[in-house]
Amino acid sequence: MSEGHGAARESSLGEWPRSTLPLSLLNAAQNKPMLVELKNGETFNGHLVNCDNFMNITLREVYQTNAEGDRFWKVKECYIRGSTIKYLRVPDTLLDAVKEEQNRAREAGRSARGAHVSGAGNRGRGMPQRGRGAVRGGPMRGGRGRGRGM
Amino acid sequence: MATLQGYVDHRVLLILQDGRAIVGVMAGYDQKSNVVLSDSKERVYSVEDGVEEIPLGLYLVKGDQIVLIGELDEALDQSIDLSTIRAEPLPPIRY
Repeated sequence: MSEGHGAARESSLGEWPRSTLPLSLLNAAQNKPMLVELKNGETFNGHLVNCDNFMNITLREVYQTNAEGDRFWKVKECYIRGSTIKYLRVPDTLLDAVKEEQNRAREAGRSARGAHVSGAGNRGRGMPQRGRGAVRGGPMRGGRGRGRGM
Repeated sequence: MATLQGYVDHRVLLILQDGRAIVGVMAGYDQKSNVVLSDSKERVYSVEDGVEEIPLGLYLVKGDQIVLIGELDEALDQSIDLSTIRAEPLPPIRY
């Protein structure tokens, strides 16, 4: 069972970039136009200046409309607390941009890890690494059991 | 463990707390059930005119607004002529 679980996790990791995290999308939306609707129905149209992990955002050159949609205001810049937001509408093209960026990041990570793995072959000889290397000769803090197990 | 992973890349129906029904392809989600919907459309139900579909594009819906997420059977869904459906719109939830 644990084996099956591991395999499932590996395959889902392999396909991971298929899914786009909402906050990745939001981060990629910087300087892009967007529409934000608040829980009270007010909407804000503007360009995203900045955002954080709470979905707090700042917009510039904003058109604000009331919930009924019959009155609107022009606002130079505004800050919206993330918890008051109902949804954001962002440009369609953003999703492909984020996915491409994720693929690039994954390829970069893969080649970096690849270099690491080939380096690990030398481990026994020249390059004492964390854990095992430190145990040899030096004072050890209960490290041996683990060292042998690996 | 409840998860939305099985819905990723599938067409889903989202019901929001304000009563809106949105269909779209789930492109992603996070720990707080914030959801990314691509190619999304709002379905506006009415007794007089049948269902109107309003294209919305790429949407990021906050998790705390979501009441329900359900997978759509695309074949079944496309076999339905929405203009023949008459129904009251959902009211917003009451606290």
